[in-house]
Amino acid sequence: MHEFNWGLLIVVYLFLGGLSAGLFFAAGLANYLEVDGQPAYPRIARMGALLAPWPVAIGSALLILDLGNWYRFYKLFMHFRWESPMSIGSWLLTLFTLIAFVYGFAWLPEDWRQKLFSKVPPTWKQVHRLNVDLSGHRKTLAMIGFPFAIGVGIYTGVLLGAVSARPFWNTNLVAQMFLFSALSSGAAALLLAMVLDPKNPIETHETKFLITLDIVFIVLELFIILPYLIHGTLSVLAVKQALWLILGGPYTVVFWVFFLGLGLLTPLGIEVYELAPSLLKGHAFHGSRNLALAASGLVLFGGFLLRYLFVYAGQVSSFHKMGMLH
Amino acid sequence: MAIKKKRYALVIDSRKCINCKACAVACKAENEVPVGNFRNWINEDRQGEYPKLRIDFEPEQCHHCEHPSCVRVCPTGASWQRKDGIVLVNDDECIGCRYCMIACPYDARYFHEASGTVHKCTLCSHRIDKGTIPACVETCPSKVRVFGDLEDPASRVHELLATRRYRVKEPQTGNGPQLYYLL
Repeated sequence: MHEFNWGLLIVVYLFLGGLSAGLFFAAGLANYLEVDGQPAYPRIARMGALLAPWPVAIGSALLILDLGNWYRFYKLFMHFRWESPMSIGSWLLTLFTLIAFVYGFAWLPEDWRQKLFSKVPPTWKQVHRLNVDLSGHRKTLAMIGFPFAIGVGIYTGVLLGAVSARPFWNTNLVAQMFLFSALSSGAAALLLAMVLDPKNPIETHETKFLITLDIVFIVLELFIILPYLIHGTLSVLAVKQALWLILGGPYTVVFWVFFLGLGLLTPLGIEVYELAPSLLKGHAFHGSRNLALAASGLVLFGGFLLRYLFVYAGQVSSFHKMGMLH
Repeated sequence: MAIKKKRYALVIDSRKCINCKACAVACKAENEVPVGNFRNWINEDRQGEYPKLRIDFEPEQCHHCEHPSCVRVCPTGASWQRKDGIVLVNDDECIGCRYCMIACPYDARYFHEASGTVHKCTLCSHRIDKGTIPACVETCPSKVRVFGDLEDPASRVHELLATRRYRVKEPQTGNGPQLYYLL
C-alpha cells in the first residue's frame, strides 16, 4: 500500500492558489481593457479584485496546517533557498497575497471603505492612516501584481515538476499546464461570481468577455496536455510506466472521463457553442445564464481534479516500484 | 598533519545476505525508530517457480547521495550534508513539509509522527564520530555490509570497489548514490 505524504490539503491549496492567480490575472486584464477611452469591463475588474486575495489566503493557511510542525512555518521566511521550489514559492505566495489584498483594497467602493474603518476604534490612529484612496493606482498595482500572479500560477506546477524522483511530474510541461489551468479557473470563477451576483445581474458583453478568455485558456491547456501525453508515451521507460497510471492504471477513469471529459472538453464545448454564432454567423451573443453556470462550474471542477490527479498519481510514480504495479 | 577529506560510503555484498533482518532490528534499537517505520530494510526479489527459482535479498537505506535531491528541495535547510558526505536532518529546523520525502528517489525517509519532523538513516553519525561503525554494519552476521572512507586508499571499501564489479541503484536519478552493491 502506497503512503501519500501530500494529501487533500495540498490539493486544495494548489487549487486555491491557482484560482487566486487566475482571478487576479483576469481582473487585471479587465482593468486595462478600454473602449473609446472608457473602461470596458469595470465590474469584472472590481469583482475579480475583491475576490482574488481570499482563495490564496485560505490556501496558505491550509499549507501551514499541513506541516508536521505548523508553528515552525516562520522558518520558511528565515531562509531563501533558490534551489528549493518550495522556498521560492513561500516568498512568491506571501508577496502575491499582500499585493492581491492591496489591489482588492484599491477597488473597494468608497462607502465600503468608510464602513470598514468606522469599525476601527478612533483611538487607533495608526490604523486610520491606512484609510487612503488607492483607486488612482489600480493600473500600477495590477502591473506590479501580474508577474507575481503568473509566478504563483506557474510555481504550483514547478513545485511538482522539479522533483526528478517522480517521473509523472518531472517534465517541463507540468508548470505550464498548471498555469493555464489556474488562469482558466480564475476566468470561470469570475463568470460564476458575476452570474450569481443577485444585485448586479451580469451583462451580455461581460459574459462574452469571460467566456472568450476561458476558451483561450482551456485551449492552451489542451495544447499542453496533448504533448504531455504524447511525449510521455514516447519517453523512457520510467515515464511510460508513470503515464500508465492514467493510461490503464488506477487513475484512468478520473483522468479521461471526469477531468478531460467533464472538466475540460464539456465546458469548452458549451463555451464554443455560446460564442461561435456571434463570431462566425454574426448573430447576437445571447449568453445563457444556465450554460454559463454549467460551464464555469465544470471548469472549476476540472481545475480541482487536475491537481488531485497530479498530486496523487505523481506520488505513486517512481523509478523503482512501478514494475510491481503492472 | 593536514586534515584529510573523507567520503563515507557503504559497500554491500548482497549475495551474502540471508534476510535475517538483524540490521533493521539493530537500527531500530540504536536509533529508536518507531514501530512501522524503518531507516533500513531488505528488498526481496523472487523469480521463477520451484524447483527453478531464485531469490535475492538486497539491504537498502538512505544512499547518502553525492547530490542529494532532498537537500536541494528543503525550504529551510533542515536537510543538509556533512563534509564527509553524510546526509542528515536537523530536527530543530525541520517544519515537516515532507517535500524531501517526495523528492527522494529511494523513498528512504519517513515522517516521525511524535515530533512532526522527517527522520532517516544517519549512517549512525553519532557512532562514526566516536570512531566506531554503524549499528547495522556491526551487527550483520554474514558480513554483507562494509562501511568505510572512500578517500582512504587503505580502507576495505576502497579495495572492494577497486577489485570487484559493482552497481548503484537508479543511477539515472543523477543523485550519485553511495551504496555500492557488489555483483
